[in-house]
Amino acid sequence: MAPATVSDSVPIETAHEDMIHDAQLDYYGKRLATCSSDRNVKVFDVLEGDAQKTTGGHTLKGHTGPVWQVAWAHPKFGHILASCSYDGKVLIWKEQQGQGWTKVGEHTLHTASVNSVSWAPHELGAMLACASSDGKISVLTFKDDGSWTADIFNGHAIGCNAVSWAPAVIPGSLITPQSQSQTAPSQGPNQTSSIKRFASAGCDNLVKIWGYREDSQSWVEEETLEGHTDWVRDVAWAPNIGLPRSYIATASQDKTVLIWTKESATAPWVKTALDPSSALASPVAGATMASAVANAPAGKFPDVVWRVSWSLAGNLLAVSCGDGKVTLWKENLKGVWECVSDMNS
Amino acid sequence: MGAQHINLVPPQVESGHFDELLQAGQTISATTSPFDNSLAVFLSPTNISGSNSSSNQEEPVYFASYDVIPSSERRLFIADTQVIFSMFHDMLEAAKTREPSWLQSSEALELMRKFSVDYVNFIKECWIHASQPMARADGPLQFSADHYRSLYSCFSLFVVLYLPEPGYEDAPVGEELMEWLNIHFIEPSTEEGDHLSSLDKPWEDVEFWPYLKRVTLRGLTKASLFFFNTLLQHPSEDLQDLAKSIIPVVENQPRLQNFSAERDFAFASRRWKDKVKAIRIEMDRVPEDCRFDEFENWWDSLSDIVGILEGRSSVIQRVCEDLGADWKEVCAAWGIFVDSRLRRQDLVDVAAEVLENMPPDPTNLEDMIHSALFLGKPEQALRHASQLDTWLSAHFADVMEPLGLLESDEPAESELSKRDEYVLSYAEYLHSDPTQWKITIAYMYSCGDIGRERADEILVRVPLKLHPSETSGTPEEAIAQAVKEISEVCFNHQREAVRRTVCRIAAQSCVRQKEYGLAVSYCISAEDWVSLGRVIDSILEEYIKNGAADFAKQASKIAPSLQDIQFDSATEAIFVHRLIFAVRYSQIHRYKLEKDYVSAASDIVTLFREEIAPKSWWPVLLCDSVELLQYGPALLFSTSDAAELLKKLEEISIRASQGSGDDYLSVLVRTIKGGGEKDALERLKVVRLALARYFARCTVGSNKLAIPSS
Repeated sequence: MAPATVSDSVPIETAHEDMIHDAQLDYYGKRLATCSSDRNVKVFDVLEGDAQKTTGGHTLKGHTGPVWQVAWAHPKFGHILASCSYDGKVLIWKEQQGQGWTKVGEHTLHTASVNSVSWAPHELGAMLACASSDGKISVLTFKDDGSWTADIFNGHAIGCNAVSWAPAVIPGSLITPQSQSQTAPSQGPNQTSSIKRFASAGCDNLVKIWGYREDSQSWVEEETLEGHTDWVRDVAWAPNIGLPRSYIATASQDKTVLIWTKESATAPWVKTALDPSSALASPVAGATMASAVANAPAGKFPDVVWRVSWSLAGNLLAVSCGDGKVTLWKENLKGVWECVSDMNS
Repeated sequence: MGAQHINLVPPQVESGHFDELLQAGQTISATTSPFDNSLAVFLSPTNISGSNSSSNQEEPVYFASYDVIPSSERRLFIADTQVIFSMFHDMLEAAKTREPSWLQSSEALELMRKFSVDYVNFIKECWIHASQPMARADGPLQFSADHYRSLYSCFSLFVVLYLPEPGYEDAPVGEELMEWLNIHFIEPSTEEGDHLSSLDKPWEDVEFWPYLKRVTLRGLTKASLFFFNTLLQHPSEDLQDLAKSIIPVVENQPRLQNFSAERDFAFASRRWKDKVKAIRIEMDRVPEDCRFDEFENWWDSLSDIVGILEGRSSVIQRVCEDLGADWKEVCAAWGIFVDSRLRRQDLVDVAAEVLENMPPDPTNLEDMIHSALFLGKPEQALRHASQLDTWLSAHFADVMEPLGLLESDEPAESELSKRDEYVLSYAEYLHSDPTQWKITIAYMYSCGDIGRERADEILVRVPLKLHPSETSGTPEEAIAQAVKEISEVCFNHQREAVRRTVCRIAAQSCVRQKEYGLAVSYCISAEDWVSLGRVIDSILEEYIKNGAADFAKQASKIAPSLQDIQFDSATEAIFVHRLIFAVRYSQIHRYKLEKDYVSAASDIVTLFREEIAPKSWWPVLLCDSVELLQYGPALLFSTSDAAELLKKLEEISIRASQGSGDDYLSVLVRTIKGGGEKDALERLKVVRLALARYFARCTVGSNKLAIPSS
């Protein structure tokens, strides 16, 4: 493959009046939702092969502070967006025939900025996890009529930065023969038991795993992952696309990205740090970059790592670093994480 | 593997000025797209304290693909080779129904060879197509003709070495190798030959002897005989005599294809070698001082040629080095001259020896692939192939696995097999072009559980053409078409769960567009009874919001679904009950519109008697009956029917007075805009009055049309 590629990326002009904090593509990758310090959420159609000719977008107004994140619900629930803001609110938006986008819900139980929202895997129903600077995590469970119940509990002292749901089906459960292996292979994941579980990232340098206990009808802290030495900025649980183990990627203020793996339900989480020094030292990088990398110790990125995002198949991790580069990582056959490409702004 | 660099165009920051951006508190951020292999990239602030540093610059979001998206000739190449891939897999699939040993049978090998030759031929076509200097309607070539040429040389070498014609596995390989070399690496050039043949005394040209050596080495008999014949005019009589002797020897070199039995070929080869020896003896008799002409030492050059014919490996290697030929030529010549009975399994040792002295070019992936194939290291060939083109490594691996060329120890439960690894990585590259989803998943579904899961994720995201702009037909036609297409694929790959998910999403979209008929049929198709219930609620909402006429129209679309519904369990029965209610209830309104009051009245009673109507709809039904109770020309209800209505009315009144009004009155309340429970109860009084009058009419007016009690 060619060593350097120029991506003919036609930018979408968002017409936000301030910095964009988050951009999320919907289930089909056909629509883009963005949110900004200008307090607005915008939705654009991404037309195939011609991103430029966007329809101008819809503006969703309702927040009274910068909007940090947006999240699309699974389309089987309709066209639904959740957004969270510095104003401490989580808003639920729905696109309805003839009416466009309207606010259909407002979650105001948090007492400080809500930093992250994440919809549960669709198999679990319409559920939304929210992480707030008030140190609490809330989980909304929506009913058919659009009303919801909220569970709210303490997550991380000082504040919670991000939440990410585990896949609904435990990795390996499709591959490991089950006692009642009568089920036809075509039955798929819907037939296997699903779990309600997510990970949260906090200002206490910790990553916590939360699980729902059906017997007590409550969320329980199942595990704590210790490894970062500064705020954990983002957490992303890998989709379980036939992978045998569970993967969680975390990004931190301490300039590291840790990949946490768990071989089986009973095994402990094992952490590995991505090592950018092995990949970024290539000559194409600018002079400033090269020196920055040279100064960074092994296993450290040149700057704060803000965001980690898995591809659909869960085999590729995009890491956005404060140094202005997005690097893409893959686990090779030997289980070593390699940087396969990087993107410069 | 080195990292690949991708630069955004137009750039967000001038090269080298990135620090300014960082100082401004901004950095780059990205999110992955589920649509294809792309990232949405945007600048975001590093300082998240909620500052409102309103900037007036544009805030664009970029889409950047980390694969080079297939275009023009490449798309065609991908689509057409997938056809061969699918046929190959149909064959492997069919093999599963046979004995395990069948894959090693000559019948199976014949088929695998056939498919591989198909690949070779197709690559060749593509190479020829790409070589033609012509205007291209679908844009410039994405890959050069030379790229396809290298795929062509690699794949055909693979066929020569690993997929011989069944029955010829143990036959000498030299002739085939030389043929391969002559097809793919043409030497010497035709121009050289034309130039030399135009000369009266070609031996005076510096290129004469190198040319003659090369054509000899390559077994290009026609050309070598032509120039040996010119030597008959050479001023040296010694050389003339030698040429006379050499011509019949070259002309009569035994060729494998002319023999029906290898024994005869071997015998002929030995006798031929003896004749070559005779020439050597004749050469040695030429006195030292007669070995030159005015231009050079012809004797040495001729000696090299005789050395080649004798099969002296050191001479062949030296001549190749002098001519600028590489290790491939030495190996092929080896199989013709050094050991004319060289077999495929022995070639590995020969290649190893030759490559020891003449290593492959590490900067040339094609050469690295060739050498790995010669050395019998298919996995190494795969590694190089994956760098040249993931197409090549995927299709190599796909054929190598059934041939048993790849490590066969079962991979750990988790790990992908080598073959799957390469095929999946090709499939992922294909995913960069979402319009090729059918091809992408065809490769993925051939890769075990992991491949199936990945393909599922793509399949459930095949756009259902929900946006009117994407299609010319009506939205519902577009959805129906898309769902049908996906369902077919699901059926072919036996992905029932995927089909159901897609149906669920389609149902949701249809409800949004008030396409209730399709929505209901998708729910039933997905056996998603909860969603079915929701759709029916939406239809009944139509009644509440828009009145009877609209409702009757919408509900009529779902009536056909009742016929193909099958249900077993009790839960399903509940939802199906609701469906029946919606259909039957809309039927009542249709009867009313058609002025068929007898049927309308009888259906209202049936809905009560058969307990089809949910409690919350009882008051609505009762209100609907008022008009029928007051119908002048005839008595539409029997006395017992009217009593049934009264019984329900009583139940509602009693329960409402006990505080359970909500269970019964909610729907009626909603039809009275701005009304409450009190207004609803008020309405029911009208029903009571109508019923009272009706009973009075029943006792008085027995001369009217009598309805037999049911």
